[in-house]
Amino acid sequence: MSDDMLLQATDVCKYYHSGDSDMAALDHVDFQLKKGDFTVLSGRSGSGKTTLLNMIGLLDTPDVGSLDIAGEDVLALSAAKRADFRLQRIGFVFQAYNLIRVLSARENVAYVLQLRGMAKKERLDIADHWLSEVGLKGLEHRRPDQLSGGQQQRVAVARALASQPVLVLADEPTANLDSQHGESLMNLMRDLNERCGMTFLIASHDPVAMAAAKQCVHMEDGNIVSSDIV
Amino acid sequence: MILSLAWRNIARSWQRSLVTVAAVATGLSALIFLWGFNDGVHNTMMRNLQQVIVGSIQIHHTDFFKKPSLSRHMKQTPELMKALSKAQHSGQVKGLSCRLDSFALAAGDDVSEGLVLLGMDTKAEAQTTRIAEKVDQGRFLQADDGAVCVLGATAARNLGVSLGDDVIFLTQDRFGALAADKFKLIGIISSGEMGIDRGLAIVPLDVLQTMLEMQGRYTRVVLQIAPEHLESVTTSLRSSLNHKDYEVLRWYDMYPMMKQWVDLENAFYYIFLGVVLLIVAAGIMNTVLMSMLERVREFGVMMALGCSRRVLAGMVIVESMILGALGVLFGLFVGLTLVAWFHGVGIDLSAQMDTVARFYVDPIVYTEIDANHLWQTAGSVMAAAIVAAFVPIWRVAKLQPVEAIHHV
Repeated sequence: MSDDMLLQATDVCKYYHSGDSDMAALDHVDFQLKKGDFTVLSGRSGSGKTTLLNMIGLLDTPDVGSLDIAGEDVLALSAAKRADFRLQRIGFVFQAYNLIRVLSARENVAYVLQLRGMAKKERLDIADHWLSEVGLKGLEHRRPDQLSGGQQQRVAVARALASQPVLVLADEPTANLDSQHGESLMNLMRDLNERCGMTFLIASHDPVAMAAAKQCVHMEDGNIVSSDIV
Repeated sequence: MILSLAWRNIARSWQRSLVTVAAVATGLSALIFLWGFNDGVHNTMMRNLQQVIVGSIQIHHTDFFKKPSLSRHMKQTPELMKALSKAQHSGQVKGLSCRLDSFALAAGDDVSEGLVLLGMDTKAEAQTTRIAEKVDQGRFLQADDGAVCVLGATAARNLGVSLGDDVIFLTQDRFGALAADKFKLIGIISSGEMGIDRGLAIVPLDVLQTMLEMQGRYTRVVLQIAPEHLESVTTSLRSSLNHKDYEVLRWYDMYPMMKQWVDLENAFYYIFLGVVLLIVAAGIMNTVLMSMLERVREFGVMMALGCSRRVLAGMVIVESMILGALGVLFGLFVGLTLVAWFHGVGIDLSAQMDTVARFYVDPIVYTEIDANHLWQTAGSVMAAAIVAAFVPIWRVAKLQPVEAIHHV
């Protein structure tokens, strides 16, 4: 794997059992990401983009294939080490925001840093910084139910970025937002990608997301059918 | 972090948490009150048995307790005096009294009755037992009273004698010769305990010693000891006295049935405690499990962010422990308040006195709780809260992040 390569998935297969037959959610997929990429995985529902994202995020394991992230064979890691790898290297943005309800925006962002063992003042300073970066200065103490959907998703982005991961994975981040907030969120992530150099991999069939991508990879029936540099 | 998150999760469903805490507190306070009543009755029984007449420890000539006979008597030997002096100087002996007792035939005007004739040193006895307080009519013995006696109420009734009457006691002296003397009845005891009321006559020690040719001789030395020093004083006396000449018996060596009864009742309470603990554990498990199932998606997100299963399990167990601890705190407060209240005002069992008096139970029971029972109960409830977390923890341990995140 070359120095600028961040991720390499080779011959990845994932099957789901349905009755007597196996259905391939991923069918011998080869996929690479370079450091600093801003790639959108597109495709209809059921095309396999979320499954691929889950494999890359170490939330699920492929039945066949290999997966290298930042030079490490991540499929060889134990469950505990995978959790630690996610904690240290990967940031997540989910479709349904998935903030922790009992924590404030600031505490949600600081949560991952706390899991890393960072001191309280330092992690809260970093949380405030990233909330400011995503345009939520002044809303640090609000709970998720006191924020709009767009604001919650921005908190989720700040949470994903606060720990300075090598790779940020976003699954349909604009799906629950109106087009204006969706575009604003994609612009924010693209801006952070360019300013901070973090690598983004986004699964989305939203044209707004595809319009913001540097690279757009299209999936159908568990296969990558095209890859276009925008 | 675990503590903070756990506390906020409990506060998030505060109504459900409150019901759980209230259930735990109610269970615990009920247990504490029942222990308070139980210990109050048992401790009263054991105290009364010791304080009314038996004492905490008795020293006899070897085998006297099983085969009472004047030939098995004790004298004030240097060995005995040294052992008693050592016990008294330890500060653990509240009172010490020497007694002489024998079987006698008592005769009233027309009737005779077999009784235990018990000689007591009135001054020493006043510091050792409360038998004088049980006198219902007349008075108890006083120093230099001469030939007077105190009878149990049933014995006096059976003999047909009343205060001021003469009672003749016929017995054998130390040498086997017949000995008889006349005693004026000055007091009648109503203790409620059949053995005392029906079969006991108390006379001055010096008068009985003279009557039985037992000057300077005793059949029993009775010691009153605080319960916490009972075993140590017994051990000390047994090591000081030659077991071929002396037997040192605790109250429950002489009357084992009472201790066995107390142990049996305590065993029933432990079974009851177990049942309540099951209910408490089920209540806490229900709350924590429901709370956990409502947050499967949140747990999935936390796992995706890198939170280990160990941290999640820790959070679940801390939630359970907080609920348990709050319940235990409130339960201790309510339970101890009840015990303290009824320790002051008592619970009136006068209606059942005919039944309970013979077991040395007072008509009014004052609750009290042994520290061991208190901490065992509170600790068991807390342990139940921890055990209750095992099922939710097991569910957390089985969660897969990708499934949990998409859990509806």
